[in-house]
Amino acid sequence: MKIHWLRMQSFRAHTDTRLEFAPKLNLIYGPNGAGKTNILEAVHYLCLTKGFLTNTDLHALQKNAPFFQLTGAFGGTRRRAVEIRLTFDRRRRKQIFSNGARIERRADLVGMLPVVAFAPSDIAITAGAPTERRRFVNNILSQERPAYLTTLLRYRRVLSQRNRMLDQARRKRETPDAAMLDSWNASLVNLGSLLIKARSRFLADFAGFVTKAYQLLNAVTEEPAMTYKCAIAPPDAVDSQDQLHDLFHERLASRAQREQKVGRTLVGPHLDDIHLSIDGLALRDYGSQGQHRTFGIAIKLAQYQYLNSRLEESPILLLDDVFDSLDAKRARAILALLQSDELGQTLITAAEKQAISRFVPFAFEEHRCIQIRDGAEAANGQ
Amino acid sequence: MYYSSESVEELIEQLCRLPTIGRKSAQRLAAHVLKMPRSDVKQLAEALVAVKDRVRACRICKNVTDADTCALCLSTRRDHGLVCVVEESSDVVALERTGEYNGVYHVLGGAVSPVDGIGPDDLTFGDLVNRVAPDPKNPEAPKIREVIVAVNPTVEGDVTAHYLREFLAPYVSVTRVAHGLPIGADLSFADEATLARALAGRRPL
Repeated sequence: MKIHWLRMQSFRAHTDTRLEFAPKLNLIYGPNGAGKTNILEAVHYLCLTKGFLTNTDLHALQKNAPFFQLTGAFGGTRRRAVEIRLTFDRRRRKQIFSNGARIERRADLVGMLPVVAFAPSDIAITAGAPTERRRFVNNILSQERPAYLTTLLRYRRVLSQRNRMLDQARRKRETPDAAMLDSWNASLVNLGSLLIKARSRFLADFAGFVTKAYQLLNAVTEEPAMTYKCAIAPPDAVDSQDQLHDLFHERLASRAQREQKVGRTLVGPHLDDIHLSIDGLALRDYGSQGQHRTFGIAIKLAQYQYLNSRLEESPILLLDDVFDSLDAKRARAILALLQSDELGQTLITAAEKQAISRFVPFAFEEHRCIQIRDGAEAANGQ
Repeated sequence: MYYSSESVEELIEQLCRLPTIGRKSAQRLAAHVLKMPRSDVKQLAEALVAVKDRVRACRICKNVTDADTCALCLSTRRDHGLVCVVEESSDVVALERTGEYNGVYHVLGGAVSPVDGIGPDDLTFGDLVNRVAPDPKNPEAPKIREVIVAVNPTVEGDVTAHYLREFLAPYVSVTRVAHGLPIGADLSFADEATLARALAGRRPL
């Protein structure tokens, strides 16, 4: 998948910027605060309806502007060209159009334009809370299979409804209506089990990609592992749907009293974690700074390779400021990827042009350098 | 203030409150109303008030009706042993248009949704249970054989269906309409959730 051009209106540093991209490498350079990352953020918005930074949509909207609008023209080897437009207004209404036709459901867009972003904030995946690792897994699975995202959104809807019901009963100091709770439990178990099964299968396949990426980054023979931590079922019980449903119901029954006390759902895949380890030792407890960084980049590389192997289209690769924070060895591994033929279109940000142009011949037509200054393309950019 | 007339502004604002009507549509409608003959406008206004004054819920099925009991419930040509449960009156219209259904209906008035503050007691759920459960005082009353649950395939509809089954299963056979591919549509255009449900509900050829 490739993005041919992008237009950003009232979006972060960009009042109205239009950029053309080359089919392979695109280096976006310029001083800090010029709006380089915003460009990657905008591409991410158009592909997945949201940014890769954790700020809210409202932060992306320029002061005094009634709405921001992003437009991008995408094309692939097997898909016809598509123009995606996304608007977000002060009433927090986000609208997405594909070739002018309104897209009603997020799941109808996600997965169509695959994208993988590397950003300094990725450190949260290995070092942060479990929610970061669920987000990582949800991102990949949603892009690989839109049905996963549909199930995830339905599950979240059930969760918020069930939470509301538990909370209402708690406030009134009542026990929730047993038949009603049973009905919500049935939906929670049905949808939740689908998520557990999908995540468990995914992590089993993904492990091989992580090992390969890790070897590429690290000469020392360390064995990385990523295992699924689900409080409901051990890994071997996940394959049988009946067994998984039974275990889920049992767990709900055992936590029922506690749930009534706190007024919120305490069982389900929204509480899953993914356990990361090196040579059998938990990364969170024993990992050094360097190991964290290597692991973080390995799972992002694995994310790219996994999606690349599973999808018809190569994902668009967004590299935000990665070279500034990497040591030589890790930078070389990324550069090896950049120079390989299997890579699709890539957008890289850097403060200095030389950081990357030393390694990549930007003279070719398939590459491009874009200089950004004060929220606009600088005229003397090549 | 966009119009120089406060009355026109007021009409636009009122129209805006209707579902699917944005400000632009409301302006277009208001401009049209301005051009209509007074008698036509009066008819429209009276029709609006009349639905609130005259229309009520059918004693039996809770569908909208001008009388005590709706025409469908009074019909002798219909199978009163077969009850189709729907969320809204508009769903009855949709099912009637097919011409394939000969039973009677029960209109719930929505689906269970704690977030919107809608519980079973806010729906006509109790009326349905009373209707289906055998009446000890009146053992001769026509017996309901089957309840077809035709609520929407949303998260809230699914839970409502499950809840209905818990209460109705002791008395009658409870079925749910099938989910699947639309007739005449291309398989490749179906969304994944529909396809997945259609696959799960496949039938022998």
